[in-house]
Amino acid sequence: MSDESVPLALPLLRLADSSSEVMTLYREIRKPLLRYLVCLGLTSDEAQDVVQDAFLSLQRHLALGGDQENIRGWLFRVAHNQARNRQTSYHRRFGEALDGKKDFLVDDATPEQVVLKKEKFRQVASAIQLLTKSERECLLLRAGGLRYREIGEVLGIATSTVGDTVERAIRKLAEKCNV
Amino acid sequence: MCDVQVKLVAWLDRELPKDEAGAVEHHVERCLECHRLVTAYGQVSETFDAYCDAVMARKTPRQVLRWVPALAGAVVAIAVILLILSRTLVERPPVDPTISSAASLPVPAAPPAEAVLRKIPIPRQRRLARVQPYVGTEQPMDTAIEIAIPAEAMFPPGAMPNGISFIADLRIAPDGSVRQVHLR
Repeated sequence: MSDESVPLALPLLRLADSSSEVMTLYREIRKPLLRYLVCLGLTSDEAQDVVQDAFLSLQRHLALGGDQENIRGWLFRVAHNQARNRQTSYHRRFGEALDGKKDFLVDDATPEQVVLKKEKFRQVASAIQLLTKSERECLLLRAGGLRYREIGEVLGIATSTVGDTVERAIRKLAEKCNV
Repeated sequence: MCDVQVKLVAWLDRELPKDEAGAVEHHVERCLECHRLVTAYGQVSETFDAYCDAVMARKTPRQVLRWVPALAGAVVAIAVILLILSRTLVERPPVDPTISSAASLPVPAAPPAEAVLRKIPIPRQRRLARVQPYVGTEQPMDTAIEIAIPAEAMFPPGAMPNGISFIADLRIAPDGSVRQVHLR
């Protein structure tokens, strides 16, 4: 789904009249936020709803004079918590999101590249199954472009713990994927 | 195993302080094992990122699939409307105001039909005679053909006025031979 295809919610449009920075933030963060939520296990529609709710919460947060530092991490934290609240079986669906048994859309040109990429994805998928929940979440947030400090704020853990967790998760993936 | 190895991911993510990052960079340039690990970690990170994109692409319906059916339906609807309009619309010639005003005038009484209709004479020789059902002894297999024979073919020149033909029924036997010629 392209970025331009999703209409903005009306409250966000009203907010845009007063703050173009929020609109810029929306365009920048929406896609990685959606990807994070989908990889967490939400459906596409659920992820869209959570993103909209997160920006509505941001509107209220800013209207009440809330802290404007690290809005990016704040949005991810709100979305992360809303995703948890929406899912009754969060842990089960979290594991299903990166299930390697399903085929993936690979748009590469040659059939050889498609086969190689699918094989690589299967290896990654099976390796992800061996990660802990915290390691997965740290990797997903890192893939979303968050710094270690922001990841720590989202997950409620120390920055040093995030560093150790990310390093351990990457090392596991490299070993399992024979890289 | 180098002590630096536990810092390689953080160094790749630019999460280390400047002085510490400089030391790791200096080490990676000289240590083959750490250099290989850095390359491997970078590849794993890229693969994980691409994997997340693939998961999102698989779960997100493509936008084009949403509007294509709507567009196709709109095109079909427009085509149907145009088809209906083309059949129902009747082109009316522009109404001449003089004609329309004349239409409101009192209509004179119609003359007798004999005065209006003029009898058009039809040359007898050109009129096709009605084929009469043939009653004879021939088999039902016989075929009757109506032919016109010019008078010039039957009489010497000047004996008959020009343009006169004779109508005859030609019957042909099943074997193809002429069985009878019947002048009317």
